Amino acid sequence: MAELCGVIGIGQTRYAAKRGDLSIAGLVREAALRALEDAGLEWKDIDAIVIGKAPDMFEGVMMPELYLADALGAVGKPILRVHTAGSVGGATAIVAASLVQAKIHERVLTVSFEKQSESNAMWALSLKQPFQVHVNAGAGGYFAPHIREYIHRSKAPDNIGILVAYKDRLNALKNPYAHLQIPGVTPEQIEQSPMLWEPIRFLESCPSSDGACAMVLADERNAERSGRSVAWVRGTAMRSEPTMFAGRDEVNPRAGRDCARDLYAQAGITDPRRDFDMAEIYVPFSWFEPMWLENLGFAEEGTGWKMVESGATMLDGDMPVNCSGGVLSSNAIGASGMVRFAEAAIQVRGDAGEHQIDGARLALGHAYGGGSQFFSMWAVSSEKP
Amino acid sequence: MSQDLGPEETLSARFKLEFDYTRSVGPVVGRFLMGLLQRRIEGIRMSDGRVLVPPTEYDPLTSESLDEFVEVGDAGEVVSWSWVQVPREKHPLDRPFAWALIRLDGADVPMLHAVDAGSESRMRSGGRVKVRWRAERVGHIRDIECFEPEDAS
Repeated sequence: MAELCGVIGIGQTRYAAKRGDLSIAGLVREAALRALEDAGLEWKDIDAIVIGKAPDMFEGVMMPELYLADALGAVGKPILRVHTAGSVGGATAIVAASLVQAKIHERVLTVSFEKQSESNAMWALSLKQPFQVHVNAGAGGYFAPHIREYIHRSKAPDNIGILVAYKDRLNALKNPYAHLQIPGVTPEQIEQSPMLWEPIRFLESCPSSDGACAMVLADERNAERSGRSVAWVRGTAMRSEPTMFAGRDEVNPRAGRDCARDLYAQAGITDPRRDFDMAEIYVPFSWFEPMWLENLGFAEEGTGWKMVESGATMLDGDMPVNCSGGVLSSNAIGASGMVRFAEAAIQVRGDAGEHQIDGARLALGHAYGGGSQFFSMWAVSSEKP
Repeated sequence: MSQDLGPEETLSARFKLEFDYTRSVGPVVGRFLMGLLQRRIEGIRMSDGRVLVPPTEYDPLTSESLDEFVEVGDAGEVVSWSWVQVPREKHPLDRPFAWALIRLDGADVPMLHAVDAGSESRMRSGGRVKVRWRAERVGHIRDIECFEPEDAS
């Protein structure tokens, strides 16, 4: 049987448009030090480091894992880099967890980051290649047609995206790490913000952030003797599928559905809406909340928007989603998936402060990447399996 | 986009990948570079007491953050060197020169730079060299135009 794995330390930087005071190394370092401190550990206590970030083109540093080895205390230790586009933060945490579950290492530091101010991630996604039509659309332009298709299929009213954005922007005001904080934000303000890629408005989109997130994962013995509250990993799953193939459903990708089914089987979840106390779901554009609620089985196909409309996903709803403010409020791309995983763990550790869900026991962390083709998920619980 | 089509080849095309970036140096390398602007060379003290030039943010031995800056001299000793008889376009000097590992006075670890020695016969390990500062400095390692043998002046 696999070894148990628990989260015993979490560290995040404040997410911001530009951290000009820090090098890339300094940015990952800040999150890593906070995670170590939270775990009550020192560099020497860490056996291995697993780092993730989005494509190298985003910052123009080839093999950043090598350059960052000293900042992450990896001298003389294994360091491993994971890459699965936007879902990488989640995939990175899962690879780190697997090293513990496989009994290869006892305590693993996992870190992910992006310093968007040093690059232009939007256009690094849309490089001109020979023999291909240059779409030149960026992420929003790529995903807008998927959203329009969702609205068409589900007959969702136009305001659903605004409701999601309003909720996440309210939640962000309760999270001191959140990048985009708009005190006094109103639904009208969101509705009147510029239309970027119909139907996605400016305030229904994620910002570009600098930031890093880190976690210390430990095996059962080290987790129990850490004296820290532990978020126990109850299941992990990853799935992928090609960007394009005939018959692919980009609105409700099979890889996401299969990934969720696998995760729920591991964690003994039969009714996700009943069993989970909260979820952190990767929502870079507001409409992805109802889409993923369906993909993840929280709602029947075509009804995710009703769940949003009912207020169920609000902080005081029966299935709170993105209590941290989500990707809509902070998007250091490589880190964003790990932030979802970490925020789920923060909730079951009872450490979320103003955005805490009282008594959260079981939480979902979810990330997706590429053209909705990479999925990574974990379930964490305050209760040991 | 130029296309080449040989008789037994499928289509291929060359393309140039270019992108603009920003780089933030952080507090340690930032201070080192700002020092060069003022003709000052600063290293940093490691946990074992040795002084590293150029400085690093983190201790190579313990991974702890480093913050004790130490000003070192603008002259030092050649630890090892290699002669470049035919400089290339991107080399720092347009005449024969040496790449050298130079341990500055007060530093414990050598750093790499160019030495304008005139001829190979003036280079030797253990020889003394000193900085030749660039007149227009911008906060870059090349604010040190090169080193030159100390007996040159």
